[in-house]
Amino acid sequence: MNYPNELSYSKSHEWVKNEDGVYVVGISDFAQHALGDVVFVNLPAEGDDVTAGAAFGDVESVKAVSDLVSPVSGTICAVNEELVDSPELLNSDPYGAWIIKVENVNGTEDLLSAAEYEAFCKEEK
Amino acid sequence: MIDTLLSYITDSMDAHYNLAVEEYLTDTVQEGQCILYLWQNRHTVVIGRNQNAWQECRTSQFSENGGTLARRLSGGGAVYHDMGNLNFTFSMPSVDYDLAKQQRVIVEACRMLGVEAEISGRNDILALGRKFSGNSFYSHAGKSFHNGTLLINADMTKMSLYLAPSKLKLEAKGVDSVRSHVVNLSELAPDITIAKMSEAMVRAFSAVYGGQVQPLSASSFDKAEIERRRARFASYEWVYGRNAEFPLSMEERLAWGGITIRLNVQQGVCTDAAVYTDAMDAEFALPLREALCGSRLDTNALCERVQSVQTCAPYAADICRMLREQNL
Repeated sequence: MNYPNELSYSKSHEWVKNEDGVYVVGISDFAQHALGDVVFVNLPAEGDDVTAGAAFGDVESVKAVSDLVSPVSGTICAVNEELVDSPELLNSDPYGAWIIKVENVNGTEDLLSAAEYEAFCKEEK
Repeated sequence: MIDTLLSYITDSMDAHYNLAVEEYLTDTVQEGQCILYLWQNRHTVVIGRNQNAWQECRTSQFSENGGTLARRLSGGGAVYHDMGNLNFTFSMPSVDYDLAKQQRVIVEACRMLGVEAEISGRNDILALGRKFSGNSFYSHAGKSFHNGTLLINADMTKMSLYLAPSKLKLEAKGVDSVRSHVVNLSELAPDITIAKMSEAMVRAFSAVYGGQVQPLSASSFDKAEIERRRARFASYEWVYGRNAEFPLSMEERLAWGGITIRLNVQQGVCTDAAVYTDAMDAEFALPLREALCGSRLDTNALCERVQSVQTCAPYAADICRMLREQNL
């Protein structure tokens, strides 16, 4: 299992990266592994507002439909449309396949460092 | 660890209400509890969370024949429900989710009624190689459910009639259904009824989990909360409007010329339209296009718009017939 150091993580298994005030959000390696093969990603639209701790979309895998929970509050400024045709990218490259980018961020969940998140995942197993 | 087994059997036959109860039970299930919920819908097509209604069901025809279309929270493909089908849901905290164990309850219930069942992959339960149960799954905020159908004596003719896509050429993204060879359990064991299966499910639940099953009483439910959820499940936005934008087109050669109508559908509503015709009198194309914008993707709604265009009057009957033939 891979936990890149430069990212922050939420307890609902999303990762966040702050790129000069724009927050990039995806799902962790742990999450994609638990989900199994992803068959569809239900994406929000650019311009939608997201709230930390609230669902902004969902992922359907062969095992279940699970909500995507936003780790930050703000406005979506980009959506990774590539996931519409290639949802399996979430499995093959979870840290490359970002899902949304959020700007005007005015709050975040209590985020974990890579080491804290790794410990959290070990407990979840 | 699960130490409390609860059951709830509803006599509601309203799919939107029943799905609301499923969500409510899952959201409110407590640590250590597992709830077995048994429910039936009358004359309903239930589509998966990420499916396109028009791609799975002849929606206009189905609702004209008194059918209810519903979208569930969990994924997977479209199913037809009538009173010959029994639905089950297991709700529990996600830490106690155990698909193999939950499916063992189904297999055990069938065994009690004299049918040997086997699990096939994650989604299907078979008897003599034919599917009688389709399963789907949902997980949210630390709670999970696993639900499925149990075909006892469902009307297979209606099933294949309504689980058919419309004629439209539509390019929508979503999850496709998988066609299966299905079987009613009553075909394999003539004694099986819905009542016997319900009773066997509760007994098997008790046997597999090892404990008494206590019935839940609806009097403890928060009725306003369930109503709020029912309204959401019944809303046009949830049932039809959840899909991303998609284009569709229809074309036909009629006595007076050819016509092509292209619609762009967003959240179940036509946001843009184009009308092409080589009819001699093509004056109606532009007002027709304007009239179609803003209509719901529904045969009757579209026909009303067509009939409202004055210059279209000589062609309206033909165009409406073409719309009806799409089996929207």
